[in-house]
Amino acid sequence: MTTKQVTERSLRRSVFLFQALALFLVIIYDAERMTLNRLYFALLLVGVTYIANLLVRKLLKGEPYLFIIATFLLSIGTIMIFRLDSTSGFKQIIWILAGFVMYFLSYLAMRFIPKLDKLTFLYFGLAVLLFVATLAVGREINGARNWIIVGPISIQPTEISKILLVLFIASYYSRYHQFEDLRVKNFPAGNYLLLGCVYFLMGLAVLQKDLGTVLIFAAIFLAMQYIYEPKRKMILFNFLLMAGGGTVATLLFSHIRVRLSTWINPWEYIDTIGYQITQSLFAIASGGFLGTGIGLGMPQTIPLAESDFIFAAICEEMGILTGMGIIMLFLLLCYRSYKIAFRQTDFFSRAVAIGLATMFAAQSMIIFGGVLKLIPLTGITIPFVSYGGSSMLASFIALGILQCLSEERERA
Amino acid sequence: MTEILNGLERFFSTNIFGTLSLYDVISTGLKYVFVFIIYYFIFHIIRLIYLDIRAIDRDETPSEVYLRLITRPETLNFKVNEIYYLNPQNSIGRGDENSIVLKDRFISKLHAKIAEQRGAYVLEDLKSANGTFVNDRRILQPTRLNNRDVVRLGDVELLFVNEVHDHDD
Repeated sequence: MTTKQVTERSLRRSVFLFQALALFLVIIYDAERMTLNRLYFALLLVGVTYIANLLVRKLLKGEPYLFIIATFLLSIGTIMIFRLDSTSGFKQIIWILAGFVMYFLSYLAMRFIPKLDKLTFLYFGLAVLLFVATLAVGREINGARNWIIVGPISIQPTEISKILLVLFIASYYSRYHQFEDLRVKNFPAGNYLLLGCVYFLMGLAVLQKDLGTVLIFAAIFLAMQYIYEPKRKMILFNFLLMAGGGTVATLLFSHIRVRLSTWINPWEYIDTIGYQITQSLFAIASGGFLGTGIGLGMPQTIPLAESDFIFAAICEEMGILTGMGIIMLFLLLCYRSYKIAFRQTDFFSRAVAIGLATMFAAQSMIIFGGVLKLIPLTGITIPFVSYGGSSMLASFIALGILQCLSEERERA
Repeated sequence: MTEILNGLERFFSTNIFGTLSLYDVISTGLKYVFVFIIYYFIFHIIRLIYLDIRAIDRDETPSEVYLRLITRPETLNFKVNEIYYLNPQNSIGRGDENSIVLKDRFISKLHAKIAEQRGAYVLEDLKSANGTFVNDRRILQPTRLNNRDVVRLGDVELLFVNEVHDHDD
């Protein structure tokens, strides 16, 4: 057996050990409210994760690290969610299992559906459809109208539209020459087609007051435009447009001004609008290097501790060392994703890989920065870590696509 | 089952030292273990990536002996490299275990090999279905490759370049 195989096995084992120990701890922490069902699901998670990691390694060629990093991240997240509220933890485990299925499905879809690069306007149409459906029948939860509630399940369609945006921009640039010379009555519409479409989507997100999504869309668009746009002036134009749009939006919407003032000095508004961020900072500070230990801190005082502020809750009970560990794991995840992008020979595949890597990078940076008060806070989920089904499924779909791209094989 | 769980709860919440319960002790102990596992995991990921990069370095050190692709890559429906550097032992074929992987339908799983013998590179066809050609002649026995020979397998044409022995020929 080579060193490499030994190391891979010890990776799988450390995920297994971590999950087993931590789940044992949260089960005895809240044993009174633990039901048999939940116990089985906790055991199922440990087993399925181990088997999934083994399967990914044995069956799929290509990138071996992405999936195992993701399973480690979701283990840390699930433990924290379980400790905060075992009902949510139980739901999160179901979402994770669904996420594993989506991972393999998106892998197969990417591999066997031909001509994915030709579906430019299907992606755009689907994204618009998701936004319109949310605006029509959506509910407002925590200040953003981006939820659709179907029976017992509430979903956030914008999570999926991020991936659609990446696919849309990638397929647009791979067929750039077809759109380049498009003209409507002497107006060079081809130049502004992509810009118009993306801004239209961002406008729809603004209507839902979903600032996080707008930011991620802007980051993905800027990155991909910067890499692929042949008309370099368009990048400057886009940049100015974003700066101008941001300023206008700040003047127009009070909730953006709130974010700014709580970023500059939250202590002034500690009882009102600054409550979230100050509680988050208190929690991180009280944890110290190693944290208080699971179940021994008070993360329930942080608002939205399971989703947007899970990073603060983790830092409180598992220490800033774990927090730094999570950031390092994201760093590795993004590094491997960009590495996959570099290896692609096909234009569309490369653009998709770059887009998805940027998506992970932007999303984690915006929320880590926000919770640590480095940038104005916008509530979005940490991929794989935060509580939330749509986010979990979307992250696994993105991961499945990247896994498929990382393999060397005949193009369909 | 519920009784067992309730029993567990009671067992772990018993105070053992003053106000300290057994749960507090376990949780405090495990927090060190968790941090240790996390960094152990990260360390191993980085180590694996390091091993990979080192392997790539070894594989792709530009040696002066290589195969250069002649066929235009756009005309092939599989991934190809512009240049394949040759090691002392190389296998060519459709299978992933080969050192040069060409996913052509007309190339066998293990199609041919190129081995160094006393400074010369010798190409041998491994009973492939569609044959291996050097300068458009099908080779039937191990053939010594000279600088700028054209090797063809399936739809792929490769130019053999051996700068070291250029002056010999």
